[in-house]
Amino acid sequence: MSGSTRSDFASVWSLYLWIGIGVAVLVLCAVLFAVVRYRDRPGRAPSRRAERTAVEVAATVLILAIVALLVFRTFHTEAREDDSSAAGAVRIDVDAFQWGWKFTYPGQGVTVIGNSVREPNFAVPAGRRVSFALTSSDVIHAMWIPGQRFKKDAIPGRTNHFDMEFEARGREPGLCSEFCGLRHSNMRFGVWVLSDASYERWLAAHR
Amino acid sequence: MTWLAATDHKKTAAKVGVASIFFFLLSGLLALTMRAELAQPGLQFVSDHTYDELFTMHGSGMIYLFLTPAALGLGLYLVPLQVGAAEIAAPRLALFGFWLYLLGGLTMYSGFLTNNGAGDATWTATIPLSNSSGTPGVGMDLWVIGVALAVLGSLLIAITILLTIMRLRAPGMTMLRLPVFTWTMLATTFMVVASFPVLVVAMGLLIAERHIGGVFTGSTGSVAYQHLFWFYGHPVVYVMFFPFVGAVGEAVATFSRKRFFGYRALVVSLLFFTALSMAVWGHHMFITGAVKNQYYSLTSTLLAVPAGIEYLDLIGTMIGGALVFRAPMLFALGFIAQFLIGGLTGIIVASPPLDYHVNGSYFIVAHFHYTLFAGSLFGLLAGVHYWFPKATGAMLRERLAKASFWVLALGANVTFFPMFFLGYDGMPRRVADYEPRLGDLNLLSSIGAGVIAIGVVMVLVNLVASLRRKEPAGDDPWGAQTLEWWTTSPPPRDNFEAPLPAINSPAPLLDLREREEEARERRVEVPV
Amino acid sequence: MSTGPKGGGGPLVAWSAIMVALGVMLAIWTTGSTTALLFLLGPALLIPLAAFSRLRPAPGGPRLLARVSVPVVVIAIGAALAAIGVTGGLWLVLVGAEVGAFGLVWLVVEITGERRRAGR
Repeated sequence: MSGSTRSDFASVWSLYLWIGIGVAVLVLCAVLFAVVRYRDRPGRAPSRRAERTAVEVAATVLILAIVALLVFRTFHTEAREDDSSAAGAVRIDVDAFQWGWKFTYPGQGVTVIGNSVREPNFAVPAGRRVSFALTSSDVIHAMWIPGQRFKKDAIPGRTNHFDMEFEARGREPGLCSEFCGLRHSNMRFGVWVLSDASYERWLAAHR
Repeated sequence: MTWLAATDHKKTAAKVGVASIFFFLLSGLLALTMRAELAQPGLQFVSDHTYDELFTMHGSGMIYLFLTPAALGLGLYLVPLQVGAAEIAAPRLALFGFWLYLLGGLTMYSGFLTNNGAGDATWTATIPLSNSSGTPGVGMDLWVIGVALAVLGSLLIAITILLTIMRLRAPGMTMLRLPVFTWTMLATTFMVVASFPVLVVAMGLLIAERHIGGVFTGSTGSVAYQHLFWFYGHPVVYVMFFPFVGAVGEAVATFSRKRFFGYRALVVSLLFFTALSMAVWGHHMFITGAVKNQYYSLTSTLLAVPAGIEYLDLIGTMIGGALVFRAPMLFALGFIAQFLIGGLTGIIVASPPLDYHVNGSYFIVAHFHYTLFAGSLFGLLAGVHYWFPKATGAMLRERLAKASFWVLALGANVTFFPMFFLGYDGMPRRVADYEPRLGDLNLLSSIGAGVIAIGVVMVLVNLVASLRRKEPAGDDPWGAQTLEWWTTSPPPRDNFEAPLPAINSPAPLLDLREREEEARERRVEVPV
Repeated sequence: MSTGPKGGGGPLVAWSAIMVALGVMLAIWTTGSTTALLFLLGPALLIPLAAFSRLRPAPGGPRLLARVSVPVVVIAIGAALAAIGVTGGLWLVLVGAEVGAFGLVWLVVEITGERRRAGR
């Protein structure tokens, strides 16, 4: 199972966004129509009609169909995103704390640690699956990499597993997105997305 | 001073209204301070710690102390009148509930006077951050105690409303002839009774955790706290929605000069909507990895069905009508258009893959401000402008009311729409500072907040000025449909002096007018 | 002159049924998680209320109502003081309890006096 969280997000997002915009436009046009066409005018007698069961049933069925489409698409993508198989993947243990991050590469002898005073940066190879094991040492934090369109809670006493695939090379900013106290807004980190060769050199340099 | 202890439900409701306006203004000032700080990157006015207190007390104040009590207070005032009762069931209990709420709110805010300041662990107070080592100090304790008191008070008021609907309806008013607003209040009380006690228990456990410890241990403990909190935390936002969609429904029907469309569908959808809203709370926990995301995603997305039916009913009421655009109708239309944006973005975040990106960001802040501010508050203002003449006997200044609507609508959209983009682009919530590249949108949002402030002042001026120089309203200035318009403005102590008209539908006054019209037509033998 | 024939319990029972269904659905989906028990709180309160209202509908007619009730305010203040005492200290809990007890006695006196004057 491949596919990055970024592309998983993008396809679901555009489905929801366009349906949402479509519904909004439809409803607002209906309201506008009512407001213009049915303004009070001399001689206008309002209709006495207050029930139209066929319309209600049709609307219910239509909305249910849209809901089914959205849920089906969501379940399909979510099953993929929640699945975490570490076979052949790069493994990184992440420990969030007030107010910084520790990234450990188990079996590689590499640890990167930093806080709000000195942001930590860790490296990943581009195009390869990276398996994270995320926890916290104190309160609940969350690890968010906006460019990857993904985040997960770091909960003390619990390890959350998730996979990512980084495509574009360069530096991806990351941050804590679960309020965790005084320096919450300074709890940032960076991800260097490197070629395989550069990644190996980085590992060697950080041992 | 006896008005402080008066048991007339109208007076208790007025007290709830005044207190909720007070807390709204206080919490609103905190928001203006936050927006002043966020107008530019860097820290200009407040420290990180103060900012944490600001957003905690802003959110807490608005939810626990303003919009929830205002929703229940509206019901406390109107439900006895709408069902033809002389008084609420258990008036002393309602009075007691008001006082617990007020004292709870004052207790929460008194935290600002303590050494460590007011509560600053967000309005949700998640464990372990909210325990005694994560957030030490008396201020946080006062927050927890204050929240428990305020929510308990709200619960008691809701109970009196529920009992009134069940037991004090006038003869002929069956449950399927309850007015639209009263139906939304009934459904609201179900949610309150089924969830508010859980929050009171959660706060009790939290204070025990802070003073004794060992209550919420380990990861199961922190997840358990979230279950208890959000089991209340989701329904409460619907408690802050349904009464106002009811008010909007009443206003739309009156100002369309038509019966409310799809009453039966509304009743069924209210029962499903409110029950379903009790089953979605896990969507606040999608990123914990500790809940069955699929169940909560399904229930959350299903909310679109009853919501869509309610929108269909509102639009169906307008179509075929003879629309008059008085101020309450403007606020009602504003609610309809703006809540829509909040609701649709809610469907977006009901999808875990999408929530994984925008959770904890300004996208969520935008979503809930569209539902609660641009939606519910506009619905509340529709209700206030609609029922002010009934409650006070005076009309509000119409031009000022309409102008305040346009100012608030402009302010709301300029403040909150940019936040969708800020969140999508990576700005988290609950931060006093952000990356400089996000400065322009933040500045725009802060300018919008200033516009909102002007709109709020306009509404307040209107309320005060209209009470000072009264333009008499009469019993039924709008040509409305429900029983509260049958009595004088304001109503007498026991609500109704004249005998009630026959009750054969949710719109007895409209029925009466139609009967009178038919009688008149029959007397005219020769058509002209 | 009584209220609606069924005492208004229909919607409460209907709502409770939907809640139980949603709770059962969660219990199945999570293979028996205790969280699903939360769904029972509403039905546990609403169904007895519906039954009570059906068996004992309100008598109808004019009700005995107080205009003002100061003891209620006193009890509320006592309760709040006692609650704040959880952090403020045992002394405050006791003060709050005293105030609350005083208010309760006053309330009983007020209510019995009302009933006596109304000739019950």
